Amino acid sequence: MLNFDWLQWVSLTMAKAVFLALFVVSGLLVLMIPKASILEGVENPRWWHNLKLWALGVLAIIFTIYFIF
Amino acid sequence: MLSGIDYFVVVMYLVGIMVLGLYFARFVRSADDFFLCGRSLPFWAVGMSIVATDISAMDFVGVSGQSYRFGISVGNFDWLGSVPAMLLAAFIFIPYFWKAGLYTIPEYLGRRYNDGVRAVASMTWIVFFAVDLGVLFWAAAVMFKSIMGWPHWFSIGATAIVIGLYTFFGGLTAVVMTDVVQMIIMFVGGATVVVVGLYHAGGWGGLTDKIAAMGEAYQNHFELIQPADTQTPFPWTGILFGLTLVMSNAYMIGNQAIVQRCLATKSVWHAKASMLCGAFFKMFIPMLVMFPGLIAVAMYPGMEDGDHAFPTLVKSLLPPGLRGLLFAGFLAGLMSTIDSILNSTATLWTKDVYERFLKKDASKRHYMIVGQLATVVLLIFGVITSPLSKQFPGIYVAIQTFLSFFQGPAFSVLLLGMFWSRATQWGGLVGLVGGISTSVLLYIFKDRLFTIEDPFLYVSWWSFVAGVLLNMVVSLATRPHPPGRLAGLVYGLPKTPQSSCEAAVC
Repeated sequence: MLNFDWLQWVSLTMAKAVFLALFVVSGLLVLMIPKASILEGVENPRWWHNLKLWALGVLAIIFTIYFIF
Repeated sequence: MLSGIDYFVVVMYLVGIMVLGLYFARFVRSADDFFLCGRSLPFWAVGMSIVATDISAMDFVGVSGQSYRFGISVGNFDWLGSVPAMLLAAFIFIPYFWKAGLYTIPEYLGRRYNDGVRAVASMTWIVFFAVDLGVLFWAAAVMFKSIMGWPHWFSIGATAIVIGLYTFFGGLTAVVMTDVVQMIIMFVGGATVVVVGLYHAGGWGGLTDKIAAMGEAYQNHFELIQPADTQTPFPWTGILFGLTLVMSNAYMIGNQAIVQRCLATKSVWHAKASMLCGAFFKMFIPMLVMFPGLIAVAMYPGMEDGDHAFPTLVKSLLPPGLRGLLFAGFLAGLMSTIDSILNSTATLWTKDVYERFLKKDASKRHYMIVGQLATVVLLIFGVITSPLSKQFPGIYVAIQTFLSFFQGPAFSVLLLGMFWSRATQWGGLVGLVGGISTSVLLYIFKDRLFTIEDPFLYVSWWSFVAGVLLNMVVSLATRPHPPGRLAGLVYGLPKTPQSSCEAAVC
């Protein structure tokens, strides 16, 4: 049990899908964050202050890496 | 061996960093300046500093050694082991910590639980960082010995003196601003090895073809996800449960060396942005530290110790001048990690132990001097304990083993404290101590309990589970905190005046 033997039936393809799903879910959660919280502490908001865009950009890169390898 | 121009590059780097670090000493007047830069840092400096702190000699030598042995699956530590956790830190934890005006993570645990939890967490981090220092110094000595032929003790002593000087006088400002320069040098130096190495290996195509032709033992070298029953230390189950869910979060959210610089930013937006900026730069780290190991597989197969892969590449591939640049990059990685650990450990000691238990209500200048003295003591301790690393087969695995002892339990206490208002002080204390004890027991009996070579990912997960369960059971059996006591400390609870950091309950 400590070695997760009970998960050995899971194929590598399915395991990879789990990780890809993790990135997708993370992206969806980021999209749900209220805008007021994102821009907290900014006096004159500009489009690049939107941290959702930063987070989604990073997630897109890592999704691509795990999709390829 | 380095040539004249290489020595020139290295000396220029050392002098430049020293001057830059000492320049910031003029801004350090109190404990606030020494530990939190007077809360004035911009996001880009902190983001780059997080990466520079995270990448070290350990990564250049250890990760390339692991990728030599096991392939690109070691890259999971910088990709899966960072990005999701940094997003969680940026949007949930860091804003809370920043608004509470914290200096340290154990300080939050003290407010949320009690001084016992704070003391255990803080002392554990102090011990870990002190041991970590020894491992880092040893990694430096291995590199110096391989490239320059210097004796181990001479290398360790020289490194300690250079880093100690500017960390002692410049505090966190010097640490972060030198980290910025060091990250750039690291990237340039690391990229140089990768570009030259790939050129000699016949490009990316040539590299993959050569490794693929080496037989069945290398068939998984370009697979990030390894089977659950793999004999490498990176089965996907361990990567998911141990690394992604526990260790990465514990590292990015609970690691004082990482979080402290976020607390020193000039606004809560900068605090969040610093983590995301760091996450972006972290994406490139595996390319710098992992590819040299793969290149070495193709060019120098059959090495007994994978940790020699990186030094061998440097020695054999780089011409004079570039070798010095790389060595400067290596030094940058090492120094940026050690200076951060020194400053953070001094902060933990001064704020969580000295100020809380030994001498309250002293002047801010007094606490700054205590922090500076702690820096010196730690430096000496790290030097003396550095040969301990020799006892472990792989340098990188050694540090992960140390981490896995308490990362899981520490994160369990932090997580329940932040999201479960029913968690009590006794639950937190038992969860933390019981979780760490579980880690130690699992590691002692690892040969009987686990089937893989080094089960640090599994140890991390199960000690986290133990910490959560113990915390929940004991919390439910003890008296809950009154709601007013938790306001501002638990996610979702309203922030009342009593919850601010000035409140007596804090």
